[in-house]
Amino acid sequence: MTDTRFHAPERLDEAIGLLTADDEARPLAGGQTLVAMLNAELLRPRAIVSLHRIAALKGVERRAGGSLWIGAMTTHSALAASAELRGAHRLLAEAAARIGHEAIRNRGTIGGAVAHADPSADYPAALVALDAEIEIEGPRGKRSLPAHQFFRGFLTTALEPGELVTGVVLLPGPAKAATRFEKLARVEGDFATASVAVVLGLDAGRVTSARLTLGGCGSVPIQSIEAEQIIAGHTLSDAVLKKAGELLAAAADPIDDVRGTAAYRRAIIPGLVARAVRSALAKGAA
Amino acid sequence: MVTTPTISITLNGTRRSIAMSATTRTLMTVLRDDLGLTGTKDACSQGVCGSCTVLIDGAPARACLILTATLDGASVTTIEGLGSTEAPGPVQQAFIDAGAIQCGFCMPGMIIQATSLLRTKPRPSRDEIRHAISGNLCRCSGYAKVIEAVELAASRIAP
Ligand SMILES: Cc1cc2nc3c(=O)[nH]c(=O)nc-3n(C[C@H](O)[C@H](O)[C@H](O)COP(=O)(O)OP(=O)(O)OC[C@H]3O[C@@H](n4cnc5c(N)ncnc54)[C@H](O)[C@@H]3O)c2cc1C
Repeated sequence: MTDTRFHAPERLDEAIGLLTADDEARPLAGGQTLVAMLNAELLRPRAIVSLHRIAALKGVERRAGGSLWIGAMTTHSALAASAELRGAHRLLAEAAARIGHEAIRNRGTIGGAVAHADPSADYPAALVALDAEIEIEGPRGKRSLPAHQFFRGFLTTALEPGELVTGVVLLPGPAKAATRFEKLARVEGDFATASVAVVLGLDAGRVTSARLTLGGCGSVPIQSIEAEQIIAGHTLSDAVLKKAGELLAAAADPIDDVRGTAAYRRAIIPGLVARAVRSALAKGAA
Repeated sequence: MVTTPTISITLNGTRRSIAMSATTRTLMTVLRDDLGLTGTKDACSQGVCGSCTVLIDGAPARACLILTATLDGASVTTIEGLGSTEAPGPVQQAFIDAGAIQCGFCMPGMIIQATSLLRTKPRPSRDEIRHAISGNLCRCSGYAKVIEAVELAASRIAP
């Protein structure tokens, strides 16, 4: 068998060219999923195109209008510690801090995690709750998609052959926001059994807007506009929180797996949602 | 553009040129099979167990999940870089003195992780220690002594 070829281009267009020319070439980001799959002999790409030298995929930059661009090669550790993530954007830092263990966070990247689209992963729910845009570049140029349209199913995204995730754009959130990434995992460092991403817009102590998304409870992040509507604008009594949790549980489409049964996930969602909203409010506006 | 099969890294303080026999070799296989540094242990190959943890540019990473070809110019520290049988480093000595070592298989990863913790937090709390080593599995389940060993090392390094 011939050895896998290895490329480490410095330019994005070179990487896209290599990936477009060979449909059995794979991009490599932090390797925290891809190399594990190589070790398990789940795949044997003809070529690997490492993205680690491409400057255009690195960094975190504030853009005109208050949005924030996060390069695809930004590690989970860098995001967890980033002072650029303020207000509603804190949610992403909270999610990053809960991914795996420190050694995984030091290498794994947001671009790799987003492209892999594991339904149990932590970023997808957070990015949908933040109404983030996924920035894509490929042989036919650039495009971007809202996160909720990017994630299509189990390990499935809107990426076409030869396309790369180049970054994630966080639009400015509510002026005053409270956030919480609530993750239930069997042990520290495991993928979520279920997670809840919350962004609340606050005005004079009142909740004026709410974004609630479930992770690990379906093949893509789960949303419920009804649940968000009853949280925004209502006094957050136990009954209101319970109702919102029940709406999200009804919208969920969980499976039975090693981390829990579908029935178990449905049963814990309302409690997890209530805990997430209460913790966000207890922390207050960031 | 196709990367040369030879890369240069600083390994345990010494600059080395490494001729790659295959492009997809992980840092773990290169360390163990090509360079004979068998202190880095091979257990799960999935990044879960932590026994192959090394420091890359000072930060803990799983040697099993890194293609060596991506490390050109990096600095790598393995358990062999922290001390020797004759002259153990302070964290290694604390693990011996605290009786933290049972079968020993998880120890290199555990000691690398603890070393990194103590560099960033010289006097960690018990909770911080537990959190830091949560990604290092010990199947002898000797965690209590490991936590004591890290506390002992901290008290000696930053009294
Ligand atoms: C022990 C362990 C625990 C973990 N725990 C969690 C957890 O709790 N929560 C969580 O969310 N994740 C977890 N992960 C996964 C981790 O977050 C990975 O880092 C992430 O899924 C993949 O990112 P990467 O940069 O390592 O990508 P890689 O492994 O390099 O690539 C992953 C996939 O994406 C493709 N790809 C990479 N970059 C791009 C790009 N820019 N554009 C298009 N395609 C690309 C690759 O070809 C590959 O198919 C864990 C991983 C391990 C090993």
